[in-house]
Amino acid sequence: MFCEKALDLIRELQRSRGASLPPFNEDTLRHVLEEMKALYEQNQQDVNDAVQGEAGLFSGVQIRHAALERNKRCILAYLQNRLKTTRDMRWEFGSVLPADVKYNLSEAEIQWFNKYNKSLANYMRSLGEDGGLDLTQDMKPPKTLYIEVRCKVDHGEFETQEGSIVLLKKNSQHFLLRSECEHLIRQGILEHIVH
Amino acid sequence: MANSQASSSRSGYYEENYFSIDDILATHERIKCKFEVPVFRLGFLDMTTDNEHISPGSKLDLPFWLARVLCNKRNKKKHIADVEIPKQYKESYREILLADANVVDLHKLGPYYYTFGAQLLKFDPADASDIASSLVQTFQGRFRNIMDSSQNAYNEDNARLTAKLDEMEKDLFKAGQKGLNDFQDWETRRVEKLQTSTMVVNHKKRKRAALIE
Amino acid sequence: MGFINDLRKDFYDVIDHQRVLILVGFDVDALAACKILLHLFQCDHVPYTVVPVSGREDLESAYQENSEGVKYVVMLNCGGNFDVIELLQPEDKVLFYICDSHRPIDVFNAYNAVQVKMLVEEREAGDDLPEYDQVFRDDESDEDDSGNESEGSEPSGKKRRFNPEALEKRRNRRLWEEKRTNILFEYEQYSKYGKSAALTMYQMAWKMSKDTNDLLWLAILGVTDQFINFKVDRDVYMSYIDELQHHVSRHNHRGDDVESTISVNCLRITYEEELQLTLYRHWSLFESLCHSPYLACKFRVWTMKGRKKLHEFLADMGLPLVQCQQKWTAMDVNFKDEISSMILDKMEKYGFDKQYVFLPSFHASYGYKNKVCATDVVLACSSVLESIDRDASMTDSFLSALDVLTRANVEAKEKCLGLAKMQTKAIVSQVQSFLDMNQIVSAGPFLYAFIQPGTLDVKFFSKAICLQRLAHYTLEAYASVCKSKKNRALPLVLGAPLDAELGTTIIIGIPPILDESRRSFFGKAFEQAGEMTNSRMLLDSFDSHIIQIKSEDKSKFFDALIGVLQ
Repeated sequence: MFCEKALDLIRELQRSRGASLPPFNEDTLRHVLEEMKALYEQNQQDVNDAVQGEAGLFSGVQIRHAALERNKRCILAYLQNRLKTTRDMRWEFGSVLPADVKYNLSEAEIQWFNKYNKSLANYMRSLGEDGGLDLTQDMKPPKTLYIEVRCKVDHGEFETQEGSIVLLKKNSQHFLLRSECEHLIRQGILEHIVH
Repeated sequence: MANSQASSSRSGYYEENYFSIDDILATHERIKCKFEVPVFRLGFLDMTTDNEHISPGSKLDLPFWLARVLCNKRNKKKHIADVEIPKQYKESYREILLADANVVDLHKLGPYYYTFGAQLLKFDPADASDIASSLVQTFQGRFRNIMDSSQNAYNEDNARLTAKLDEMEKDLFKAGQKGLNDFQDWETRRVEKLQTSTMVVNHKKRKRAALIE
Repeated sequence: MGFINDLRKDFYDVIDHQRVLILVGFDVDALAACKILLHLFQCDHVPYTVVPVSGREDLESAYQENSEGVKYVVMLNCGGNFDVIELLQPEDKVLFYICDSHRPIDVFNAYNAVQVKMLVEEREAGDDLPEYDQVFRDDESDEDDSGNESEGSEPSGKKRRFNPEALEKRRNRRLWEEKRTNILFEYEQYSKYGKSAALTMYQMAWKMSKDTNDLLWLAILGVTDQFINFKVDRDVYMSYIDELQHHVSRHNHRGDDVESTISVNCLRITYEEELQLTLYRHWSLFESLCHSPYLACKFRVWTMKGRKKLHEFLADMGLPLVQCQQKWTAMDVNFKDEISSMILDKMEKYGFDKQYVFLPSFHASYGYKNKVCATDVVLACSSVLESIDRDASMTDSFLSALDVLTRANVEAKEKCLGLAKMQTKAIVSQVQSFLDMNQIVSAGPFLYAFIQPGTLDVKFFSKAICLQRLAHYTLEAYASVCKSKKNRALPLVLGAPLDAELGTTIIIGIPPILDESRRSFFGKAFEQAGEMTNSRMLLDSFDSHIIQIKSEDKSKFFDALIGVLQ
């Protein structure tokens, strides 16, 4: 049957919903493109034959054309959905992706990520009066200036805005400026303690 | 739960959305087609024979997106095959659904029962209006239960509750659960708590699972 | 002197929004104190870092790691009874505020007015603290003296050597030093405990008008911990309870008509004469009776006769066995309400002492289903603190114990009540096996027992608080079995294997039953015995009556200990 490989790509997307991306499936993608090429060539030939006078070939052409369109849709959907996830990852992981997440992106996707990163940074810089506004901060309305956090992993030293050094060692508990540690919480290094 | 951006990529599920994963999967459901005209050089599509061509009268299970192209009642010239409406949308099943929609395992009848059913209407079958009203009634009949269970299952394993739901109903259930959880979080002041990003959590989980393997 | 009487002015206001390093010892009192202090710091936006420390080595490394740029260090239930400056070698600008219930306070800490401040009222610490002149000599004469000494080889100094004045001076010095050693020995001989750190912190909060019912509950837990973990005697405990009761009525007094408008989710604290039955609200009455130190020993429930007597007692009270054996929560309400008075009625007949059966205490209620008494929370919290979960590190346990004290955390509390029961069961079965195998032996000046390696539940007893509970239970049980009254005047030394690979043993010494003051002389005795025999031992614990020793050195250490105590 046509388009089975293309559908594999879609199924792969469905399985990885809500998580970071699986490796860019270049192999399957190439298979799909090959199938499309074959379909196209076959149609080309049938059309030529039809022009020569052979009758009844158009239904076949119609079917192959539908398969071509379908393949196209699957591939585009695959790329589009991956891009969306890539964009979301900027907000979830921050501007630098963990190495193993980055490893799963294709070259073009990495480029796109970097460009998105840059546009976002430029936009955020342009907001507000001085120095811009960090949109990734305060995703939830802050209640207090400082928050209590607990360290979940050995992260090493961390310099606060006031210039003091805090050692983020597993199971140590700190009271820090919310703005300083929010991204560390989002990355799973700190845990926010509420009472 | 997925954040706003992640869920926005899923919106447009109900109408046709070119990039929607669910829509692509739903339109891949198979449907029985009977060929009216011969199709040359595509005999390999019919696994039961070794013929080079598909001969008129042969019946094939084809995905919806292909059947949609083949069956064209308005333009007789382009009409290649007739489709047979799947049995789960036929009268006998419609009667079962009418009797009590709540006990039916819609997931088994097709994980995309509603979406696929709505798509079928495009073939303009004779009982189109019956199918349409059956879909609406079924949904109405089941909605209350879904809402109830999604609003009352707090911190429970809901695999049992969602096992018989169609994919769209599952999304509804999830939305209900999200509402419930958000409310509880608000009430117990857990909304204030900054959370680790969902993706980071999932990423770590997968890493750990990989380590164990 | 480094004592701070006005905590607000001389401690809290001094810190003034600078980052503080808080080092917390491993006991419930310290945890409660920590929570109170954190609450205050949170209100005032004082950034802090909390690091748990389990012993001196831990303290040293925690300080080295976290001290960068820190000017203020607060120590809760650690650091009071040894010279912190010597151990930590801090920079000159660092200030230490020590709120420690361990006594005696090290004299170097007490008289170091520059860097070390004790959050202890002077009158509380002052009683037996040696005078400054008795332990320190004026620097001037000291230097003078040593100066002479070094110049001694020079001809000019030769003359002075025979100078009667100098001779006199040196004799004086020798005498002074002898006296000093004696005084210090007198002072440090007994280790005991002072005011609960949580109570100190609460009083500070109160003086700043920042005390709440929640903080009060934490203070109650701190004080309760001191009593049920054998740190203070009953009189002291009662005086604290009196004081707390004033606060309780201040915070929980409501007019009749207002009561109905207050949300049930608010914390309410009530004074109560609490039955001293271990965890009975979360167990069955029968199980609880069998696991409560005083009553179980009175009945000797581990014997057939004892069991019978216990059944008789229950029958006498008119309590059906079926009711006693089901969960307390499922028991008939009438019995539940009556149980205290029933026991009170029959107490005399069975020869119980009221003060061991009833304990004036408090319980807290919030929401519809949460009612807990202070002793249960302390037991639950300390069982989590000493969790034997292999995957959980010490600091993991510390944090989960801290969570248990957060009252919203109902699930955590339920879970660790189960753990507390397990721990109690382990203690009881260990006591029983001590008795069955006659493993409690008299060494002359003291009794001793050792837990054999490979014993079931041995893991529980490698932790200080649990081992201490076991020790007291053992002593109580042994005294109830033995005819001779002499045993009640004997202290107990108990050892448990600590680490099989390193071949170490943890040893604890507790005072005799008759001595109600709950002060222990084992700290010094262990130290001396260790020195005499060159045993490889580790005095790491903040409690000096708990030591670690190489298992091979155990026997020679013991011989020496007998000598020391005789």
